[in-house]
Amino acid sequence: MIKSFIGIVALATNLAVAADPPNITGTWNMGLEGDHVIPVALVLKQDGPKLTGTIALPTQNAGNRVEVKLSGEFADGAFKLSGTIEGAKEPTTVAISGKLLDDGSMEGKFEMPGHGHGTMSWTAERLKERK
Amino acid sequence: MYITGTHLSRRAVLKGFGATIALPFLDAMAPAGRGLRADQRKIRLICVEMVHGSAGSSLIGARKNLWAPAGVGPDFDLAPTSLRALAPFRDALTIVSNTDCPSADPFTASEIGGDHFRSSAVFLTQAHPKQTKGADVQAGISLDQLYAQRFGQTTPLPSMQVGIENGDQGGGCGYGYSCAYTDTISWASPTRPLPMVRDPRVVFDTLFGVLRLSESPAERREQLALDRSILDWVQASTRRLQATLGPGDRARLSDYLDNVREVERRIRAVEAFSLSGEVREQPEAPAGVPDSFSDHVKLMFDLQVLAFASDVTRVFAFKLGRDNSNRTYPESGFAGAFHPTSHHSGKEAKILEFAMLNAYHVSMIPYVLEKLKNTPDGDRHLLDNTVLLYGSAMGDSNQHNHKRVPFFIAGHGGGAFKGGQHLKAANGTPLANVMLSVLHKIGVDDISSFGDSEGTFEM
Repeated sequence: MIKSFIGIVALATNLAVAADPPNITGTWNMGLEGDHVIPVALVLKQDGPKLTGTIALPTQNAGNRVEVKLSGEFADGAFKLSGTIEGAKEPTTVAISGKLLDDGSMEGKFEMPGHGHGTMSWTAERLKERK
Repeated sequence: MYITGTHLSRRAVLKGFGATIALPFLDAMAPAGRGLRADQRKIRLICVEMVHGSAGSSLIGARKNLWAPAGVGPDFDLAPTSLRALAPFRDALTIVSNTDCPSADPFTASEIGGDHFRSSAVFLTQAHPKQTKGADVQAGISLDQLYAQRFGQTTPLPSMQVGIENGDQGGGCGYGYSCAYTDTISWASPTRPLPMVRDPRVVFDTLFGVLRLSESPAERREQLALDRSILDWVQASTRRLQATLGPGDRARLSDYLDNVREVERRIRAVEAFSLSGEVREQPEAPAGVPDSFSDHVKLMFDLQVLAFASDVTRVFAFKLGRDNSNRTYPESGFAGAFHPTSHHSGKEAKILEFAMLNAYHVSMIPYVLEKLKNTPDGDRHLLDNTVLLYGSAMGDSNQHNHKRVPFFIAGHGGGAFKGGQHLKAANGTPLANVMLSVLHKIGVDDISSFGDSEGTFEM
């Protein structure tokens, strides 16, 4: 009786795990692949299909960053995000597309139209936050 | 000078107005002319950091053995590696490869991207620097200082910190990090970074207790014109000492003083050029700083060997570069600037160019090893009793990661290091484990952890 109860619980747990949709909420250490790999912080919050977050992009002044607010959608393991750099001399938008990989990392493309960077590939791993 | 009969104190000095020159170890300092006993040998420590990791830390570079050789144990071939200039000293060489510096990784979102502004603070502390631009900096006590605080108290200077590039920028350096983290590798405590001295003249004057009554450029020019050495100031003292010494000690003292004079002459030549009005490559640098990287490094190494020979100090931290440096090294055979070259895009041709810079930087090391080998230290030579650590907390600078960091040890450390070994660590081994074991081997053997160590490393 007890064995079958445990079996049912285990089965239910497995089903629950299998049914959990992927969630990419968290801090990602993203590597933008330009002439070298630029590490940037991508912080995401997923609420169902809705995504919000920020990306901290380096500026032309070495050591400085600008934080860009992002919004977009996540569906079927893939997502699209966009945002506008506030305070830029000219209106500048950021577009990010990506997908979650089986190993838990992500990859995708990054665009900042009009800034001569073209489309940059990126990969990202979840940050192991430590104190 | 303190001379009692035929015995000379290890702390005897040559003294003159405005200068104090410590002496090398002489037979007269040991009873009945015997050399140092094993338990009297003092290990000297040089910790050398070069920034930006290595080409061999990239995946392609690792496959091509651009840093670590393919063979492990005693059978390794240095030829393809950036360490090839060390071949004449392979018997004194312990290469430890495949270690990581996880404390240089970002711990929070705001730390992502700040790798260049953290790495130097991690190299000798293996501790994670607190992200702050203010005075509340925090990392960890560095390996050199752990040794100096234990064994440096009986020498006139517990330790010295020297560097090649400008390390006095103050304030914040980027990504919310204080420049203290970029400027130094030496930390007396987790909250006390020690400044690195860039000017060989300052090192020289500190080692030889030179009292400078005049410091303005005009007055320095006048002093240079006089062309007097500090050895002239201690002539009478030198003569008195030589009269009490045997022929072997007289020759040893003479060689040592010749080396002091030669180093002083080179510093004066650099100063004369700097003050001549000629165009300098680094116009902001103090007058004693040579334009040439290799001239600068060699001067600093010569001063370290003199300091060891005279036992003024037994510990040096030596920072060869500064993160984000765009310095060029034409003598390497490649003209590209350091930081951009380290960003090789993962392309093989560019990785090979970066490896040329790495090899050039490492090629500075045989110079000091040769000097140490040729400097008597009791019944041995200084290389036998020295541990030189060389490395970086950056791995693949193109990725800004801290994996497979470049690292090697040269010297025998009084017999603690056999040498002639390439030790490849298991994946994920923290460099801190190696540093903990180094500390144990050089006598700091009552600590059970260092930085983010997870254990010791068999060497």
